[in-house]
Amino acid sequence: MNLIINNSSMTPIYEQIVSQMKEKIMSGQLKPDAMLPSVRTLSKDLRISALTVKKAYDAMEQEGYIVTVHGKGSFVANVNPNLAIEEKQKEVEKIFEQGIRKGKECGMTKEDMMELFDVVLSDF
Amino acid sequence: MLLKLEHVKKEYDSFKLDCSLEVKKGQVTGLVGSNGAGKSTTFKSILGLIFPDEGNIELLGKDISAITASDKEEIGVVLTEANVCEYLTAKDLIPIMKAMYKDFSTEDYMDKCKAYGIPLKKIIKDFSTGMKAKLKVILAMSHNAKLLILDEPTAGLDVIMRNELLDMLRDYMENEERGILISSHISTDLEGLCDDIYMIANGKIIMHEETDVLLSEYGVLKLTKEQYETVDKAYILSSKEEKFGYLCLTNQKDFYMENYPEIAIEKGNIDDFIILMEKGVRK
Repeated sequence: MNLIINNSSMTPIYEQIVSQMKEKIMSGQLKPDAMLPSVRTLSKDLRISALTVKKAYDAMEQEGYIVTVHGKGSFVANVNPNLAIEEKQKEVEKIFEQGIRKGKECGMTKEDMMELFDVVLSDF
Repeated sequence: MLLKLEHVKKEYDSFKLDCSLEVKKGQVTGLVGSNGAGKSTTFKSILGLIFPDEGNIELLGKDISAITASDKEEIGVVLTEANVCEYLTAKDLIPIMKAMYKDFSTEDYMDKCKAYGIPLKKIIKDFSTGMKAKLKVILAMSHNAKLLILDEPTAGLDVIMRNELLDMLRDYMENEERGILISSHISTDLEGLCDDIYMIANGKIIMHEETDVLLSEYGVLKLTKEQYETVDKAYILSSKEEKFGYLCLTNQKDFYMENYPEIAIEKGNIDDFIILMEKGVRK
């Protein structure tokens, strides 16, 4: 598994694993039913603690990206393609939220922001 | 559970140990602390080299008083000042190890020596520091022990040797039944290897946290005197006065990043945390 972990990033390591693996699953690089490396193997390859990898796998399992079969290992789940779109929309929403919060902080009104939004949008 | 210490106490003239810790199956547990903090006393208590005044030690699911010689074969040990006889070669050690450990695998031992560049026919006296250290770890791993107890196995090694040695330990951990208790002064070694870390100071465990949590949620705040007065100290574990103001250790870095964007916040590493926990004023 080719994952790049940035140890000096403020993003927690397990989140880095989750986001990179999700991307691989979404883009089809990792196909449904493909077997993932064991927790120990990945922890050895990335030189990070095994609990960190386990945390990442647990998070992905909860979100339905992977399935863990006890005694057999973890596998890529059959991910609904709509999930990918939803995921991206969530990201966009988050960025908008940040922008709006910043705008409010410096006293912009809803109209000011809408106007600015249109200006930026017209550039595309 | 491979190892459990419950309030293991030992009192010397000028030092008092009171230590509780656990090593679970499939996990690597680190023990950090400055010189004289009690790491070696803890290791010696676990190995039955000294007898604690109070408290319980459970090794491989048994009380330490019930541990037999064959149980002890399940434990692999590296101690800082315990070396093999320097006038022997790595090959000479084979019959000795064979006689001591039922599960000693000559083949595996020779393979490992070869893989990690340990000459079999050279006398150990002529080994470099790094080679001696690697041999000690290979010996500890040579008899299929369930629990490795390693007191500073990387001491005195350069970064390349340390990496090789840590990789050896990672390989060893691919078997889920095993566990490791390791101490080191080099915190980056532990950051990349251990699943959880205990910090010991003046004979007491002052912090226990999963490595992942330490690295993702802990942080160091650098505050001016004015900032220090006003900042919410709910998640500050320890603070230390500096020329510029205060250094503070937090276990909720995100809280401060969100609520005080003007504050300088560093991710920090285990060294920073040790200094702040030991030298700072703890809450």
